[in-house]
Amino acid sequence: MVSPLYIIAVGLGAAFLLGLLPEKWQRAAYGVTLLALALMGWIAGSWLWAFALQGAAPVEIFTAGTQPPFAINFRVGLAEASLALLMALTGLHAALYMRDTLFKQGRRAMAVLLIFVMATCGVIFTRDLFNLFVFMELVVISTGGLVLLSADRRALGAGLKYLIVSQLVSILMLVGMVFAYHATGTLNIDGMAAAQADLFKGGALAFFLMLMAVLAELKPFPANGWGLDIYESAHPAFAALFSAATGAATVYAADKLLLIGGAQWLPLASAIGIVTFVVANIFALVQDNDRRLLGYSSIAQVGLILTVIGQRDLLGEQYYFVAGGILLAHAVAKAGLFWLSGLVAARGLGDWAALRGHPVLVFAFVTFIALLVGLPPFPGFYAKWELAHALAANGQLWLLGLILFGALLEAAYLFRWFGYVLKREQPQAGLLLQAIKEDVALSAVVVAWLLAYLWGELSGQGNLLHAIPLLFALLFLPLDWLPAKLKNGLAIAGLVGWFYLHYPSYDALQLIFAAVMLPGGAIILLASFQTQQRRVGFYPAAMLMFAGLAMLIEAKTSFAFFAAWELLTVGSYFLILRGKHSEPHALSYIVFSLGGAFLMLAGFALAAQGVPDFKIAALAQVAEPFAPWVFALLAIGFMTKTAAVGVHIWLPGAHAEAETDVSPLVSGILLKAGLFGLFVLLMTMGKQQLYGVELTHVMLWIGAISALIGNLLAIFQEDAKRLLAYSSIGQMGYALFGLAMMNHLGWLMALMFVINHYIYKSMLFLSVGGVAKRTGTRDMYRMGGLITLMPLSFIATLIGIIAVSGVPPLSGFGGRWIFYNAIMTAEYRLPMVIIFLAGPIAFLYLFRLIHTIFLGQLKDELRTVKEAPFWIVLPQMIFVVALLVFALIPGMALRHVDAYLAPFFGGQNGLDWAGLTITSEFGYWSPVSIMLIIGVIFATLFAWLLFVNRRAQPVKQFNIVFAGERPFRPETTHFAWNFFAPYRKALGFLTQPLVTIFWETLTELLHSAADILRRMYTGNGQTYAIHLLAFVIIVYLLWMGGL
Amino acid sequence: MIRRFAVFLLLLGLGAIFADLLLGYTPSEELNLTARYYAEHTAQDLGAANIVTAIVVTYRGLDTLGEVTVLFLTATIIGMVLARGRKHRALQRQLPAAGELLTTGSRLLVPLILLLGVYVFVNGHLTPGGGFQGGAIVASAALLLLLTDPLKRFSHRLIAVMEAVSGLFFIGLGVLGLVYAGGFLDSRVLPNGAFGTLFSAGVMPIIYSFIGLKVGAEFTSMLTHLAETEQS
Amino acid sequence: MDWIAMATGFILILMGLYGALTNRNILRIIVSFSVANTGVNLVLVAVGYMRGRTAPILDEAVPMTDAVTRIIDPLPQALVLTAIVIGLGVTALMLTYAYKLYEEKGTLDISKCRDLKW
Repeated sequence: MVSPLYIIAVGLGAAFLLGLLPEKWQRAAYGVTLLALALMGWIAGSWLWAFALQGAAPVEIFTAGTQPPFAINFRVGLAEASLALLMALTGLHAALYMRDTLFKQGRRAMAVLLIFVMATCGVIFTRDLFNLFVFMELVVISTGGLVLLSADRRALGAGLKYLIVSQLVSILMLVGMVFAYHATGTLNIDGMAAAQADLFKGGALAFFLMLMAVLAELKPFPANGWGLDIYESAHPAFAALFSAATGAATVYAADKLLLIGGAQWLPLASAIGIVTFVVANIFALVQDNDRRLLGYSSIAQVGLILTVIGQRDLLGEQYYFVAGGILLAHAVAKAGLFWLSGLVAARGLGDWAALRGHPVLVFAFVTFIALLVGLPPFPGFYAKWELAHALAANGQLWLLGLILFGALLEAAYLFRWFGYVLKREQPQAGLLLQAIKEDVALSAVVVAWLLAYLWGELSGQGNLLHAIPLLFALLFLPLDWLPAKLKNGLAIAGLVGWFYLHYPSYDALQLIFAAVMLPGGAIILLASFQTQQRRVGFYPAAMLMFAGLAMLIEAKTSFAFFAAWELLTVGSYFLILRGKHSEPHALSYIVFSLGGAFLMLAGFALAAQGVPDFKIAALAQVAEPFAPWVFALLAIGFMTKTAAVGVHIWLPGAHAEAETDVSPLVSGILLKAGLFGLFVLLMTMGKQQLYGVELTHVMLWIGAISALIGNLLAIFQEDAKRLLAYSSIGQMGYALFGLAMMNHLGWLMALMFVINHYIYKSMLFLSVGGVAKRTGTRDMYRMGGLITLMPLSFIATLIGIIAVSGVPPLSGFGGRWIFYNAIMTAEYRLPMVIIFLAGPIAFLYLFRLIHTIFLGQLKDELRTVKEAPFWIVLPQMIFVVALLVFALIPGMALRHVDAYLAPFFGGQNGLDWAGLTITSEFGYWSPVSIMLIIGVIFATLFAWLLFVNRRAQPVKQFNIVFAGERPFRPETTHFAWNFFAPYRKALGFLTQPLVTIFWETLTELLHSAADILRRMYTGNGQTYAIHLLAFVIIVYLLWMGGL
Repeated sequence: MIRRFAVFLLLLGLGAIFADLLLGYTPSEELNLTARYYAEHTAQDLGAANIVTAIVVTYRGLDTLGEVTVLFLTATIIGMVLARGRKHRALQRQLPAAGELLTTGSRLLVPLILLLGVYVFVNGHLTPGGGFQGGAIVASAALLLLLTDPLKRFSHRLIAVMEAVSGLFFIGLGVLGLVYAGGFLDSRVLPNGAFGTLFSAGVMPIIYSFIGLKVGAEFTSMLTHLAETEQS
Repeated sequence: MDWIAMATGFILILMGLYGALTNRNILRIIVSFSVANTGVNLVLVAVGYMRGRTAPILDEAVPMTDAVTRIIDPLPQALVLTAIVIGLGVTALMLTYAYKLYEEKGTLDISKCRDLKW
């Protein structure tokens, strides 16, 4: 193998060699540059290969034939080799990307680029303090040159600001260094680390100055205005280098420097890092320039890595896995995004909508965002998991909280941006496509997925990219060019096949949920046969959600559970975003969901207390004082998904604005994931008390209020899908209530809700969706009298609302029956009253579905409406049959569950499933006889009506009205708008959007705070230098004052 | 005013840090580990009389390579920036002619200055001085010429070749050390020779000469580029 | 008396920084930084200085054998050489920037150069 010194020699030699070439030989010069960068990459790569795969030990490289500390030495190990490879590769890509610019600027620019890459490698390799300084100055100066390659004239100012700040930095560094040398008698980093005690006898200040100098290069808050200006104005390829290469190299330099300081300085690094991470993310919320936004995000990510460096001792062996995962994810994603930004013509975030015409570029964008946010299966996900666990196990809860808060902010603005890409108006000629630039950007995508695989292999948790459901979902990406019908068939086959293969291994609870989610999903997907085109992007998203669901049900460990949870969250977000007007709603969905997921992460981390491979079942053994907190965190996380009141505001928009076949998927199926989580939680942890408050009691209240508020809000909706969405909040409230009762029948009722709600909500969403598709509106008052035109949809709706309202003979009644039995065994009176109140309210809104849509008078413009398309009606009919069957023999499914649940309650209060009747201690219920009785009554009444009206004359719709006078607007004769106005007068105060106002105010506050505070970055280079000085002095006062 | 006051306060803080450093400073009575090694071993191991030179060229040769690169980089960037978009306009104002004293003086001094510069970098391993000092002296000859005639032009090509060739030789000698001696930039590629003579200390004087040439070339290049801005 | 050089160096740094942070003219800022850099270099050599010793060059006056007791620490001297050159490089680069900015904007006032902010 070639000595790593050749990386330096090749870089420098090629730079010098370029001077020998005549000015005109641009091609030759460019060739030399590429060759040198490739060679540097090859050397680094060969070392990486040796360390990673052949297990070579790190090597020390001496110069001048003399041992350190008397001469400069390099050290190359796994970390150094991988970082050097990163430097060389980003450098090579930058050279390819900037080809035109380099040709225009000539060989000098190429030489500067080569030296830049060489110097970053030097920063990584060297173990000598002064040598580190020299390489860092080289990076600074070459940055000063490369900034000027930008076509943006403002880059000149940015470069000057950078130079001013770096002058200050080098003064601090040199003064600190020479005093550190005086204290220890060496300039070698390891030597200084060994002489730590000497250093801190009188040299703590010296170390402090050096640390400040290196940290200043990491752009800590508030001393980072200059960095932002460079990100905004530099050539995108250089901005990519500046973010990925300079960032990574300087982070590594800080890591080395902290070796000298030792453990006592680590908290300082963490503190500076976390402040930078959170503040930069807050500031990024109000950015509308893409590159400046990426700059803020870069600063934030580096802050996060600094935080991790500060937790080095806690992380132990995991340190490089965590820090490296975040660092590489950041580097690749940022480089990729900056490269993409070079393809987009204008600088507004909304201008990125131009990408939409190129699915491959959209995929690249998604990959980078997922990589940055740390979604599975990317390295950041594994890293975040390990980090959270280490922090929680060591009581660093504040830090964990701040990290998760910052990460949520980052996810918020990145996903908002993604929403713009898919939903904003596509600008004309918005892309500056150039094959080579595109290839460079796409190569980052490849690297991203390779890293995902690698980190999966390295993690002790099992590689997510080996999970078959996820692979199946990803399979739809390359297949996306196929017609939708084909893909739909494949998807259905996949869902059913997976269920068929796996159901024998499920217990009763898993079986119910799996049946609802997988074959249940397949039935809903039948409706998707309706679409004609290719439907790009639908199937990867949908299958990602299903993959998450399938993995969730089978998850044994907390890691598997959480990974599945994030997958299904992200998949469903993409699905919801597909709706025409769903941009803001999808955003609020993903923010709430990720917020909930982060709470779960904190909960799991707190529960595990450092135990690797924590089993879900082990939740039962979590002891005080953590247990109630774990319970609360997980419960809130799950309740976010079930849209309990307080965190429900995302649901109505997300469910209502989704596409016709997506609404039933996210409502009928996805909500059950939250219930599944709650089931698992209650089954393992049971009742918990926090400060003397019974937490299940709190959940009971939340469930009751959700039921009331959800139903109440539903009655005032004009939009049919929104009505159904609010009704889901109410329904989930019931289920939550049942679970929180913590008795056998309550749980049974909740399970019954899982099945019922899936069937009728899917059915109703499909039939309403079909109607909306035909009529072109979702406002109910614009419909009416559709019963004759859309009879099948009418039947589905009728059956659906009978089932929902819980009147005999359908299964909803069964649910109610069990529910009332359950309530009688519980003792909470007040929430019980509330939940009883919610019942009749449900009638009010359900009545509107039939009355306003199907009964009454037909509108003129709807006279030609046809029945909903076959593929939308088909699943509804299947659901009708299923409802009837389930109503007749509920025991088929429920008796197994009943038996399964019995042990949790010592076999008490079970039901007796003998024969066709079900008996509880309060009475019995015989579905078949009820069905028969109702059937007989209905048939008799119907026959009697027919008999009485046998001579009735069919009347045209307007005959009666026209008898008196001719109405000016016939539709006004069908009273439907603001139907429940009197109720609104009476109960309207309950529907005040207090929760919405709360969350909106919070968001508003964050945004305006960011908008005011970011004005500290005045743009004046001198002010930035003062910021830096102030940073140093403030840290000095805070830290050294207290040291 | 507020700015001045804030800066004053902050510098007061920095001053406190410096004062702390100063008060905590006790001059060493003996050479520390590193310095002692240099004092004891330089002469035997490397054969250089000037210990600072031995450190600069060999022990910390990598720093020096970086240092030379800094100059190269600066000269390159200046060339890149100033060459870009330069419009060749006629000089706006008439330059006053250089005085007789300056013209004659420079004619007399330039060869002497060049000679001194070469002497300084060739003897860098023996006497105070070396490549950087010598190079700076060489470049001051160019400065003198430019002062005499601001419109004088040096050949960019020649300067470029000189900086490239001397840089490449520097790296080449370093790599020779890696191959034939103890490591990158080890000066013992050639025998140490007789202590205190011109041909001693291995390749140290050769490297320092190339450094001198390179530094001279870089400085001249920067001066020329900056001088050429006079034109526009 | 040993601390005079060092104290002077520190004072030069502070003076230079005050100039650099309060003057608006870019050229003055650059000059101020040069002053501060000189201060840094002075501090650097001051740390290597030891009373009663001589320069680290071996000749008749300082024979090889008692070099250890006769010479001052050579390392800071080597460092300062590098530091000077680096400082010079940055200064030259800043001057070029100043020239280009002047060409671009017709002013050397740093507070006028605020196109990028927030």
